[in-house]
Amino acid sequence: VRRDPVIAPAVVLIWGAVALFVLYPLGRLLLLTFWNGGPSLDAVRGLLGDWTHRAALVNSLLLAALVGIAGTVLGFAFALLAVRANLPRWFGRALDAVVLLPLISPPFTAAIALIFALGPRGLISYHVFGLTRVNIYGLWGTLLSETLTYFPIAYLTLKAVLANVDANLEDSAFSLGARRWRVFRTVTLPLTTPGVANAFLLVSAASLADFATPLILGGTRFPVLPTQAFLQITGLYDMRGGAALCFLLLVPALAVFAGQRWFTERRGGSFVTVTGKVGAATRVKSLSPAAVLGLAVVCGLVVALVLVCYLLIFAASIVRGLGADNSLSLAHYGHVFSGGLKAVRDTLLIAVICMPVGGLFAVVLGFLVSRTEFPGRRALEFAAMMNYALPGTIVGIAYLVAFNDPPLALTGTAFILVVCYVFRYSLAGTRATSAVLAQIDPSIEEASASLGARRDVTFRRVVLPLIRPALLAGMTVLFIRAMTAISATIFLVSLSWSLVTVRILEGITNLELGQASAFSMLVILLVYLAVAVASLAMRRLNAGSLGQAGTLLGG
Amino acid sequence: MGNWLVTACVSLLLVAGLAGAAPAQTLNVYTAWPESLSQPIFRAYTAKTGVPINFIRLSTGELVARATAEKNNPRADVIWGAPGDGFAAAKEAGIIEPYRPPTWDRIPAELKDREAYFTAVAKNTLVFMSNAKLLKEKGLKPPTSWNDLLDPAYKGQIQTADARTSGTALTRILSIYYAFGKDEDKAFDYQKKLHQNVQVYTKSGGGCTIPAALGQALVCIAHMPDAMEAKKKGYDMVVTFPKEGVAAVIEAVALVKGAKNRDLATKFIDWTFSKDMQDLLDKNQVYMLPALPGATIEPGVQSLMKEARLLPVDLDWVGKNRKRLVERWVNEVIKE
Repeated sequence: VRRDPVIAPAVVLIWGAVALFVLYPLGRLLLLTFWNGGPSLDAVRGLLGDWTHRAALVNSLLLAALVGIAGTVLGFAFALLAVRANLPRWFGRALDAVVLLPLISPPFTAAIALIFALGPRGLISYHVFGLTRVNIYGLWGTLLSETLTYFPIAYLTLKAVLANVDANLEDSAFSLGARRWRVFRTVTLPLTTPGVANAFLLVSAASLADFATPLILGGTRFPVLPTQAFLQITGLYDMRGGAALCFLLLVPALAVFAGQRWFTERRGGSFVTVTGKVGAATRVKSLSPAAVLGLAVVCGLVVALVLVCYLLIFAASIVRGLGADNSLSLAHYGHVFSGGLKAVRDTLLIAVICMPVGGLFAVVLGFLVSRTEFPGRRALEFAAMMNYALPGTIVGIAYLVAFNDPPLALTGTAFILVVCYVFRYSLAGTRATSAVLAQIDPSIEEASASLGARRDVTFRRVVLPLIRPALLAGMTVLFIRAMTAISATIFLVSLSWSLVTVRILEGITNLELGQASAFSMLVILLVYLAVAVASLAMRRLNAGSLGQAGTLLGG
Repeated sequence: MGNWLVTACVSLLLVAGLAGAAPAQTLNVYTAWPESLSQPIFRAYTAKTGVPINFIRLSTGELVARATAEKNNPRADVIWGAPGDGFAAAKEAGIIEPYRPPTWDRIPAELKDREAYFTAVAKNTLVFMSNAKLLKEKGLKPPTSWNDLLDPAYKGQIQTADARTSGTALTRILSIYYAFGKDEDKAFDYQKKLHQNVQVYTKSGGGCTIPAALGQALVCIAHMPDAMEAKKKGYDMVVTFPKEGVAAVIEAVALVKGAKNRDLATKFIDWTFSKDMQDLLDKNQVYMLPALPGATIEPGVQSLMKEARLLPVDLDWVGKNRKRLVERWVNEVIKE
């Protein structure tokens, strides 16, 4: 048992922060919802009597399941193509770059672009295929848009899993005379099952919490919980009802989260195929040329659709008025760098402040939960991921309710935005830290300790250098999220602090399509830049699979 | 991992906190008007008085939700430019307080709250905006009656706002209610039929403007400024009014209860209702009718407005029935 005088203050500090910025706001929101002069359920009672809310509950679950399945299947196809098809290295890089687009682009962008491409007068639906009766609004449009947005999560997760399935195992099956389909069914698939389940749950969780896509594409025919909660609060001026709806969403969200954890932990146990002694497979042959062709066609079509969508956004940003005046103009970018400059500066500043703060928090938390023993360790781990598992709307409202009055009057400052991001998006860094630490033998630390180093010295001189990749990974994710998140922060931007994503939403609702597109392109560019820098740094740190920025976002 | 960590965190957070402090003597405004309409007016005030205005643009619902959550420690001093129904909710939530600018008595009674909790800065109109190219393609005349929209030719071609998020949608419901002689059942029967032709209900009032401009939909029912903005951008749109009339809704202004800069706020409100500012609505092409009698209205807008039959709205009745109307819309119109 490790007992150390330095651990205690660190635990207290982290617990304090989590209690203050995760548990306290949620508690305030719970109180608001379920306390009306006494414990009261009247906020919930009315909700389930309302048909839209019942439909929303069913729709949310249905959509999450469908997006999970579609996203996982598509992700698996992409992963097979990337890992098992012997394609050139540059092809894999290009694939990653395109696939990452929907995942890192600001919310709303994908949904809007899809309307341009596949709406009743869409570029593809009407101008190419001449269809006029296309209905993009409702279940199918939402499903398509969310699948395109979130399948990269499945792809990135499954790519790592497939890459870890030693091709020699498949080879042995082949030499025993099995056919390709049989090998796939009895060797490849079983070995990737936990990964597939994990991918399914990650994609489903993303869909459950997604608010932007159904807001644009769901319409009244396909209500889902996150948008209903938003409508309840902002449309019917009913904060209690909205909060109650969010708590209704909490149940499936946490169930998915728990399931996902269970699978990831199990994978570590009984599905180890990386043993250090991997013989070089001469050539992966688990896919027949026909299968490769089939996969290439499917993936090619998806990539083409994604590219068309983003080219449309790009086009909207460089013409005066898309569809009305298609002459080239840099006016929208001019606006971004004049009137919009404050939002850009604010967003960058906040993202840059988030990185070290959140990175440190993530690493220390990851270290504490995976390398030390203290009472309430599991509880801390659980509490720290609450803000991540909860839909953004509820976190935003909870922060607004909790931090508006003295002594904790934080609304209106950049502080509240930083805190919101740090406690919502540090999970990736924490997990990366745990993953890295799992590969490092504790005896290295013990050696340092037996040479007389204090615990904090050991941490700083031994552990920290080893978990630098995890720190970097955590910081990159924070940067990306701080540049692109909206659901929680829409309630927290203030008179003095504005964010680019909010400007994008404004542009879309106010007919300033060109400006919204220009802002979106800028965000995409900055995020790509950050990802590139991070990947480069990772390669220098020899971080292996952590180096792929995608793996970070894969959760 | 001792003090260096604590120091690092605390100092970083401090920097973030300090950077967030707003300068003193700045007026803080929440508005629902698009930046293109509100900012020139705020700039004009700053140019005249030297008082800088900090503003955020929020949808009406977000605005009220936010101001309500901030009730005990208000961040905004004035709510400026949002539809009247939002103010009815704000009054109920106790987040605004009565204030009478010097010209208050001259504002017509139907444009202000009886107890002066809020006062209209302008009257706004609902319009039908149609995509000219699509009309021609289908050989249709621009709709000039609510009943025109029931034509099967419009099936899946109409976009308009969702009543739960948008003040514009409430204006539509009220317009139909008044157009059908205040017979609520008839009005809802009509809306059920209209629903059959609706492609999607957008979350923001002007949300259908871009789709209609780009031909994703044929008709968008929204407010006048949205339509004029689209025309200004060069989109070929036809603007028409239903001959049965549309409800004249108000875009109002109110003082936030417990405003930190109360003095600045009341001065700004006084200016809002001066002829100086009311003339700006016209000069800046806001395409709303100024609330103050005697303010300038451009001939172009005047002639456009001549076609519009504006039906006066009973603000008290709307305040009392808003929630019920929206609920009825949810439970009868969009339920399939």
